[in-house]
Amino acid sequence: MKKKVLGVATVALLAMGLTACGANPAADPAPAPDATAAGSDSEIVIGASLCLTGIQSPLDEPILRGAQLAVDEINTNGGVLGKQLKLVNLDGKSDPVVVGNNGEQLTAQGAAAIITPADFDFGGPASRAAQAAGIVGISPGASSPLFGAATLGDKQFTLSMWNTTMGAAAAEWAYNERGLKKAYVVTDSFIDYTTSLSEYFIESMEHQGGTIVGQDTYTQGDQNFSAQLQRLKTAGSDADVIFVSSYMPDLGLIIRDIRAAGIDTPIFGGDSYDDPELAKVLGAEFGNDITYATHAYLSEEASALVPDFLSLYEKAHGEEPDTALVANGYDTVNVLAQAMEAAGSTDGAAVAAKMTSMKFELLTGNLTWSAETGNEPQKEAVLVSLDKGEPKFNGWLMPQWVPAA
Amino acid sequence: MDGVLQFILNSLSLGSVYALFALGLIMVFGILKLVNFAYGELIMVAGYTWFVLQGTLLPLVVVVLVAIVVAAFTSVVTERVAFRPVRSNSMNAMLITSFAVSTLLQNSALVFVSPRARAVDVPVFFHTNINLGGVQISVSNVVVILVSTLTLIGLLVLMQKTRLGITLRAAADDFRMLQLLGVRADQVIVSAFAISGVLAGIAGFLWISRIGSVSPTVGMAPLLIALIAIVVGGMNSLSGAIVGGFFLGTLTIALQLLLPQDMLAFRDAVIFAVVILVLVFRPQGIVKGRFATERIG
Repeated sequence: MKKKVLGVATVALLAMGLTACGANPAADPAPAPDATAAGSDSEIVIGASLCLTGIQSPLDEPILRGAQLAVDEINTNGGVLGKQLKLVNLDGKSDPVVVGNNGEQLTAQGAAAIITPADFDFGGPASRAAQAAGIVGISPGASSPLFGAATLGDKQFTLSMWNTTMGAAAAEWAYNERGLKKAYVVTDSFIDYTTSLSEYFIESMEHQGGTIVGQDTYTQGDQNFSAQLQRLKTAGSDADVIFVSSYMPDLGLIIRDIRAAGIDTPIFGGDSYDDPELAKVLGAEFGNDITYATHAYLSEEASALVPDFLSLYEKAHGEEPDTALVANGYDTVNVLAQAMEAAGSTDGAAVAAKMTSMKFELLTGNLTWSAETGNEPQKEAVLVSLDKGEPKFNGWLMPQWVPAA
Repeated sequence: MDGVLQFILNSLSLGSVYALFALGLIMVFGILKLVNFAYGELIMVAGYTWFVLQGTLLPLVVVVLVAIVVAAFTSVVTERVAFRPVRSNSMNAMLITSFAVSTLLQNSALVFVSPRARAVDVPVFFHTNINLGGVQISVSNVVVILVSTLTLIGLLVLMQKTRLGITLRAAADDFRMLQLLGVRADQVIVSAFAISGVLAGIAGFLWISRIGSVSPTVGMAPLLIALIAIVVGGMNSLSGAIVGGFFLGTLTIALQLLLPQDMLAFRDAVIFAVVILVLVFRPQGIVKGRFATERIG
């Protein structure tokens, strides 16, 4: 009996798979997603495979909160193309295989677009599934230059600036605005994000005319910066700026140890600094002269859109957002909604074409994607600095020169 | 000279925390022959207790004591609820159960608090340096060395001088014999879990005060460290765990200082190579236990 049930289930699954495959080539000429079971005439399904468990969850979970907030807001205001949006998230479990399978399942269920995890390694598989199904896939925060058309396909986007832009923004701000010309670079060698960010910072710094006086590595999870600190004291003694490319939780320990050792050289970094917990770990004592290039600054000085967003968020959650990544999730859904509205359909090719031709004004800055450079996001970075443990808005910056990916 | 003293202090500080990690793990392993993979989560539980209580006006000492008690309590509860029912089954059942408990605790933190790291209020003086005879010593190193030394002495007295300690040591040597003599297995095992939890709580406080924040996966590194330390130190005695902990701590600090810049990325590979070498020449670990008996049912 059990075997029979299994057999039936297998046939059913196969059939579903076949119809999904069969639908793919047809997706290009006609907007077909509404034909399948999940998408009805009254709603547009936006699929997501964000990771709510595992190592990717610190990034993806707040993004999902922001995305849901945008969906609710859009639905209250009448939806998209006269239909209600429906956000369906399947937990990616920080496993690229699961993320990929979720992508397949969501496209088979008729999702009009897929939101993928905020990382190339974890998000890529869902984007490939979206591309295969002829729909738009978008990562709210993947900053790898690999996240674009060249690697994943012409309908795949990331809302985040690439690491090339992030590294360039940090270098340009340090060199031009602050006059810091000699850099010491500490790189967390644990993941691609931190290593490539350091490379692009160094490339941009040298392009500006700055010099790199020394380099060191750290490995996430070591919880011990003492040896690096010894070297920093000698090799980095004449540095104007220390670029630390790492992420929480160890980032807090690294900066605290540097400051506690009495080194008050300015510290620069990327969007992984954008975490209120970092400011708390450092406190007023150690959280000084730390500047980072990131996506959003949730205050009115940074964008006129922020106050509405904040009051919306606080109404829904009863507190302020704990990270600016919430804004990335919110923006992602808004980009999809605006592009669908402009395209007049949910067809993947039409939406992607709008995404590469429109200019988006977002919480996370002004954004255009260029189809010529493989859906490279042309995006401003916001520069924020910690002063006595409090974040301060420095300004928006679109780097003049960005290293090639 | 300055560098040497600094090296000794750093090694002592890291080694003593590692030794505490290893002792907590071996308390349970000695008796049940179970590597408790949920051990790291006891450290996490201590950390989150600290995080939750820091908003209250309780002084740090009280918060830490409560955190230790909660870790011990969690340890005892997992024994009662999860491990005891499967104890008479196969070793595999116990092992899988420990993974289940670990996942359950980790995901509870993820769901009820946040997947993101949360800052704990570590007093600023922890991270200041004091000048001792021309040498800069960080207060946190001193605190770590003091607290772990006191804990080690306390554990030594408990194991050597009290009835409970003698029972525990006897249980680790030959549990069957102990049962035949009329000692209740359940009580001995619960005590082992409680002590394991207390050690996890103390080590967790020291570890988390270094990091300054707590996340659902904060216990994974300590678990791995403890496991390697007891394997290399010797799995059949408490002294093996202590030796293994200090060995690993000193090795880590030494390699971090001595390896050339471009080799640093392979530091862990070198550590494991040394560990393998030690095991080739001393398969029982650095310290040989007197007995190596089968696990009790």
